[in-house]
Amino acid sequence: MIRALRQSMAWIHGWLGLVAGWLLFAMFATGTASYFRPEITRWMQPEIAANRTAPADAAAAAVRHLQRVGADDVQWFIALPDERTAVTRVFEQPKPAAEGAPRPRRPRAEELVLDPATGDPVAARDTRGGEHFYRFHFQLQLPHPWGRWLAGVCAMFMLGAIISGVVTHKRIFADFFTLRWNKGQRSWLDAHNVSAVLALPYHAVITYTGLVTLVVMYMPWPIVANYPQPARFAQEAYGLAADVEPTGRPAPLVAIAPLVRDAERRLGGAAGRLVVSHPNDAAATVTVTRGNGASVAARGVSATYSGTTGRLLSASAPPGAAITTANVLLGLHMAQFAGPALRWTLFVLGLSGVAMVGTGLLLWTAARRRPGAAPFFGLRLVERLNIAIIAGLPLGMAAFLLANRLLPAGMPGRADAEVAAMFWTWGAAALLQCARPPRLAWRDLFALGALAFAAIPIVDALATPRLAAGDPLFLAFDSAMAAMAVALAFASRRAARIPAAPVRRSARKVAHA
Amino acid sequence: MLMRRAGSGAVPPAQPRWRIRPAAWAMTARCITAFLGNYAFAATAASLTARLLPIARVEATVWAMILSFLLYAIVGLWCFAEASLARVAAIVWGGALLMGAAVWLIGVRP
Repeated sequence: MIRALRQSMAWIHGWLGLVAGWLLFAMFATGTASYFRPEITRWMQPEIAANRTAPADAAAAAVRHLQRVGADDVQWFIALPDERTAVTRVFEQPKPAAEGAPRPRRPRAEELVLDPATGDPVAARDTRGGEHFYRFHFQLQLPHPWGRWLAGVCAMFMLGAIISGVVTHKRIFADFFTLRWNKGQRSWLDAHNVSAVLALPYHAVITYTGLVTLVVMYMPWPIVANYPQPARFAQEAYGLAADVEPTGRPAPLVAIAPLVRDAERRLGGAAGRLVVSHPNDAAATVTVTRGNGASVAARGVSATYSGTTGRLLSASAPPGAAITTANVLLGLHMAQFAGPALRWTLFVLGLSGVAMVGTGLLLWTAARRRPGAAPFFGLRLVERLNIAIIAGLPLGMAAFLLANRLLPAGMPGRADAEVAAMFWTWGAAALLQCARPPRLAWRDLFALGALAFAAIPIVDALATPRLAAGDPLFLAFDSAMAAMAVALAFASRRAARIPAAPVRRSARKVAHA
Repeated sequence: MLMRRAGSGAVPPAQPRWRIRPAAWAMTARCITAFLGNYAFAATAASLTARLLPIARVEATVWAMILSFLLYAIVGLWCFAEASLARVAAIVWGGALLMGAAVWLIGVRP
């Protein structure tokens, strides 16, 4: 019974991992990079110095600007800067055109990037920054909603692979200490086990919490069963104040900075977001939400004020156990609470996830290769896809960062061109490697990746306007790129070696011993 | 082991070449049940739980939603561990149908 269970779990583990493995590799790699999302954005906009403005003053400066450009908007969303984010980001929701009037072609609210101190629009090179890796890791560059659904399916396969992998793995404790190098398939299995078992709690948590981030999209049916109007759920779950209708009577907006400071005292942490509804109307409201740095639970608490008198209208009640659990799960995934030491630890754990998926994919081919026999079609396909993803993706990511420095700063459509550089490079590498025998394809793509990453600090030193001179962020970022180059050069050297003689036990038995 | 190879013992009677082996049909059915039927099972189970839990409705909703993934993962794996395809299909599709009917009959929480 137990034996049969373990066998069926080993079988399903292999297939789940194979079907979702390539996308999971890309999701893990770009997701791990996203632990440093604001830092990547700052590196990619070297014209902008680090922020030294308090949230309350940045809010006041942003509102000054918005009063000039969008005084009659329906709503202003203001994301305030902090020690990691250097700019204030603002979304305007403009007033809908009057009935019958021609609708202006503004499909969605424009994002404004403002200087925290002055409130003026920032002049910096156009880039998606760290946001690109972050979005890719759960949208996979596909149209909405397909990317998110595909990512969700992959995450669910990952959860299934984790559970079935644990059932399969009877020597879970002993393998903690087992790593046999240079033994061909046996080594890939050991590496897969060590990277999986060492960081098992991390993998399980990051996978489950990843699913929870989009739970409302993946599993909306309990809301349908409980709410005649599903919008009510969002209000209750996130503690949002109900929408108010504008009165149409104009009334000046109260000074923002004192409100933000008062909210920070009440909420016990720096303000992170500000929503101003119906500004300059008698029914205006200002909602201040605590930033995510203050607690593990994401979706901070908020306080809502009258926009004309500055009186406190409501503060979000302490959430119940389920909401708190969901917020903590979300916070664990986003890790915005983490300080530098914990952030780097999580980054290394994320890399262990990359290694686990990568070694698992390699194991699939190693377990099915027969010495002397020509590889069958599926094996050749999987091997080529392995090369394209495992060795090709780092090259593409490096191309994205290099394009940021090499494209002219004022070029039109430059943010899209950076993204295009990543996918064209990755796609070209994936196709061209097919012209080489597999072992040389591995070696060459890893070597190209190493060269590309080594080029990043050099190009940065030559091509960056040093407005941010002396900022440790740039030193740390360039060092990390050099470390990536060393790691890929090592991988290239290893791939070039003749593989060790295959082990003699039957391959299938070894695959999940 | 799940895909039992047909004809390992006696030679099977001659069949047209395009005929897909019954084991492949069974495997396809099992995969569809584990993937889609299981989603219907998890969705209806979560909805019924959310509707019936005697706590605040926002709390009941969120508990049901965040635990539904665990249910989906375990039932999905069980679909491959259980030897009898008939039992898998009956429990997953039948369960989804029963729980869905229950949610529909009870109606939205007032």
